[in-house]
Amino acid sequence: MSTNILLPRPHRILAINQETEHEYTFRVESGAAAKHGQFYQLSLPKIGEAPISVSAMGDGWLEFTIRKVGKLTSEVFRLRPGDRLFMRGPYGKPFPIDDFKHGDLVVIAGGTGVAPVRSTLRYFYEHPEEIKEVYFLAGFRDEGSILFRADLERFKARFHTIYTLDRDRVDGFETGLVTRHLGRIPFSTLTRYHVIIVGPPVMMHHTALKCLEYGVPEEKIWVSFERRMSCAVGKCGHCKINETYVCLEGPVFNYTKAKELWD
Amino acid sequence: MGYSLSYGRMNEILKELQQNYRVYAPRRWAGRGRYSDTDLIRYGEIAAVEEVVHDEKSDFSPKEIIFPITQPLFYFTEDEYRESRVDDQGLLIFARPCDINGIRRLDTMFLKNGDSEDSYYRRLRDKARFVLMECGTGWDTCFCVSMGSNRTSDYSLAVRFLPDHLLVEVRDEAFKRYFSQEREVEFTPEFVTSNPRTVRLPEIDSSGLLRKVYDLEMWKEYNSRCQSCGACTAACITCSCFTTSDLIYNENARVGERRRVWASCLHEDFTAMAGGLGFRATPGERLRFRTLHKVYDYKARFKEEQMCVGCGRCDDRCPEFISFATIINRLSDEVERLKKEASQEVAGQ
Amino acid sequence: MNHDLDIKKLRNHCYRQSKVPGEFMLQMRAPGGVIEARYLSLVQHIADTWGNGLFHLGMRQTLSIPGIKYEDIPAVNRYIKQYIQEIEVDLCGVDMEVTEEGYPAIGARNIMACIGNIHCIKANINTTALARKLERVIYPSPYHIKISVAGCPNDCAKGHFNDFGIIGLAKTEYDYDRCIGCKKCIEACAKHATGVLSMENGKIVKDTCCCVGCGECALVCPTGAWTRNPTKFYRVLIGGRTGKQTPRMGKLFLNWVTEEVVLRVIKNWEDFSAEVLEHKPVYLHGGHLIDRAGYNRFKEMILKGVQLNPEAMVAQRILWTETEYRSNFNVRPVNGVRAEG
Ligand SMILES: Cc1cc2nc3c(=O)[nH]c(=O)nc-3n(C[C@H](O)[C@H](O)[C@H](O)COP(=O)(O)OP(=O)(O)OC[C@H]3O[C@@H](n4cnc5c(N)ncnc54)[C@H](O)[C@@H]3O)c2cc1C
Ligand code: SF4
Ligand code: SF4
Ligand code: SF4
Ligand code: SF4
Ligand code: SF4
Ligand code: FES
Repeated sequence: MSTNILLPRPHRILAINQETEHEYTFRVESGAAAKHGQFYQLSLPKIGEAPISVSAMGDGWLEFTIRKVGKLTSEVFRLRPGDRLFMRGPYGKPFPIDDFKHGDLVVIAGGTGVAPVRSTLRYFYEHPEEIKEVYFLAGFRDEGSILFRADLERFKARFHTIYTLDRDRVDGFETGLVTRHLGRIPFSTLTRYHVIIVGPPVMMHHTALKCLEYGVPEEKIWVSFERRMSCAVGKCGHCKINETYVCLEGPVFNYTKAKELWD
Repeated sequence: MGYSLSYGRMNEILKELQQNYRVYAPRRWAGRGRYSDTDLIRYGEIAAVEEVVHDEKSDFSPKEIIFPITQPLFYFTEDEYRESRVDDQGLLIFARPCDINGIRRLDTMFLKNGDSEDSYYRRLRDKARFVLMECGTGWDTCFCVSMGSNRTSDYSLAVRFLPDHLLVEVRDEAFKRYFSQEREVEFTPEFVTSNPRTVRLPEIDSSGLLRKVYDLEMWKEYNSRCQSCGACTAACITCSCFTTSDLIYNENARVGERRRVWASCLHEDFTAMAGGLGFRATPGERLRFRTLHKVYDYKARFKEEQMCVGCGRCDDRCPEFISFATIINRLSDEVERLKKEASQEVAGQ
Repeated sequence: MNHDLDIKKLRNHCYRQSKVPGEFMLQMRAPGGVIEARYLSLVQHIADTWGNGLFHLGMRQTLSIPGIKYEDIPAVNRYIKQYIQEIEVDLCGVDMEVTEEGYPAIGARNIMACIGNIHCIKANINTTALARKLERVIYPSPYHIKISVAGCPNDCAKGHFNDFGIIGLAKTEYDYDRCIGCKKCIEACAKHATGVLSMENGKIVKDTCCCVGCGECALVCPTGAWTRNPTKFYRVLIGGRTGKQTPRMGKLFLNWVTEEVVLRVIKNWEDFSAEVLEHKPVYLHGGHLIDRAGYNRFKEMILKGVQLNPEAMVAQRILWTETEYRSNFNVRPVNGVRAEG
């Protein structure tokens, strides 16, 4: 009898932090060795399952930042610390953190795309000796959708940060889409470096093209894909693009691969 | 070893087999076909061999026996959950060569893809044994020969249905004992060696060519023809997609289940995500996706063989008369044309 | 020519008076509108030999041949004897003696039908077979009755404008485990029919109250979760008519009845007509007869001895809606003044 790969396990919620009106971060008890950029299938029995990225990890806990959009995500918002959340994972290919080490790192994230890169950023924030310079360009739609305010504030001390809002004018934030501020990253002076781009599909597409224009080689660019998923273990077929299963070979892809993942 | 036996004897053996196996075969559901006064032929348990519809192709494949259309995964009570169970009765399935070969594709998906095993598939698959049914001359939509799936040796028993008796080959030692009383004869099943329909498989050998295949005009033609019903994928022996969902039986009792049901990439919501995001918005794009899965990217991933086995059920079931065999051949022609154009471009430089 | 013709009598033999003195149009019955194509040469022969070479596709699916001279009628009648024998007696099993006098009656009009499931993908019944069975019930009754049989609730046969409109229904049945929740049936039902399907817990629920029995759900379902119950069911509409005074659409009388019920009901029509018309088979639309007797009396008589199947539904009352040319209160002269005339 093979083990049941679809079996979820209950985990205790340690803390809940409201990020925005529609996004909460749940800290869940777990000793699992998740990697940066991986995701879990979170579920509530009788409600459903959904893939959610690990947005931070620590000793004995994982964090998930969830946007309320539907059945499961709405129901999760009704949970309180001490309640149980069901999980299976971690799944997917993570960011190649070891390759990033001792070089420079550029992270460009839009909206909820900040969640999957947050743990990577926190790692290098806590291990500054393992990285040279970190350039973090984060964009949100408006003031009401700013995530991880505390982290954003902390990161300023060790990273080169550019935070921008598409529309609103708020202290500490620039205005305009992330692509408008790309020019401020000194790509031409960087040598050993990697670029992470995560956000909505259109944002990733345009940002990657811009980076290429700035002379960033394709193989230095990393993106994280979001696709409809039902199983996360390469069985259900929903996430497939060509011969690639996003749940298995992704969600993190090198741009050399990602550019050929046409839908 | 081969045997010749009457239908009566075979039914007695069937009774014996049924102590250990649930026996499934394509059966006739009179008047339940898509159109009025047509029959539906699909898999069901049989009580007598006469019920086996051996001279027509079934509308649906045997995949539903090991990959049920609706399959409970877990049952939930107030604060417990429990894995769904199956009994230990074996499964004996009358199947054709293309179907048996098709099930190998399902094995690849459920047991190999992602280096993990789907235990729900495994527990039914392990119990399954096949009774190969000879095809005779085959049917007008079959193209198994082109797909190399007209033959198989993966069966326990093989059977030829003759008007007043049956010929049975027993390949699997475990089944020998059931036939010990029968008259021995020389019999091994015959396989079709040609189909009226042949397909030429496209050879897509570079991502540049694949991109051009995506952009072909031919897909657009299907925007008006395909109604995205998903009948083709439901009939297909090799389509393995599903969607998992939870439900509550009763709001107050707080009991429910997590289950999976078949899904189809032809349906509009196959890729739908929160915020209205989705991919492949047109029927043509979805048909392209299915086509490439069947005759390009499954093989690109798993190397050995194409996904499609040429059973032709998709052509039989498509209410809009969209022929998949024709799509494959059209695609091959287009690919050849694109290659020729590319080589002319190179030569012209 | 002879100017002394009993046109009423000729009419009873299915010869219709022409505006050309002494000429008639023969209307040959083709119950259900389907006959073997070889009979067309017979039609051509009549038209070319005794008619004026023309052929009309009759409004009630008769094979109509105009321009037949009065003196040729006996020859024509002798010629069509075999056709009447083959169609009416051999094919439909009508209990009648075929003579050299042509058709014995015109009262029960040719039964119309759409092509039905011998061809149509939407049809739920074999309309041709039913029309032939009905022919045996109604012919050669002198009492007037117009029946039309449609293969599905789309009613291409216009049963809504006949004394009896008989519509084939599919009782579709749902296999919970085969359903994949794709919603295609919900969409089809909403688009083509009454939108009685909805989704609950990933599966389908049907509001059986208002299913019209069209079978669209079974047509569209990719997995065969919806299939037709092999038993054929019927809807019976009554009292529809065209006409110069009060045309109106037929109304629902019976729903979800079996073929046996349909045949029994139609059989009772003759007795009902006889009662209302005091045994004088004059030409009156069936609707007028129902109006005269009143719906309740009609219902009582027409269901006499009929064993209704358990699924059957019977109209408790009927709300007729005539087009009333006599009142015409919704129609006004263009400029407020009625033109002289
Ligand atoms: C690898 C990966 C990582 C993700 N990380 C995060 C994250 O960190 N935080 C977060 O808030 N969200 C994340 N998502 C998106 C999240 O999975 C969906 O928002 C969630 O599945 C919706 O579930 P629901 O039950 O609340 O919505 P439902 O009620 O199921 O559906 C609401 C809408 O979401 C669509 N939907 C259904 N399943 C998915 C799916 N698997 N992915 C996207 N949309 C879907 C439905 O089609 C519908 O339009 C991630 C998705 C992927 C694939
Ligand atoms: S794609 Fe069509 S021919 Fe090929 S295996 Fe599937 S149903 Fe059969
Ligand atoms: S063709 Fe579509 S439904 Fe079939 S296996 Fe491939 S992706 Fe799934
Ligand atoms: S190809 Fe045919 S069977 Fe498949 S979804 Fe389109 S219309 Fe339906
Ligand atoms: S069309 Fe068939 S499979 Fe789809 S939802 Fe309706 S019953 Fe279920
Ligand atoms: S048969 Fe009934 S349920 Fe089915 S589509 Fe027609 S009205 Fe809707
Ligand atoms: S999510 Fe099921 S195959 Fe990738």
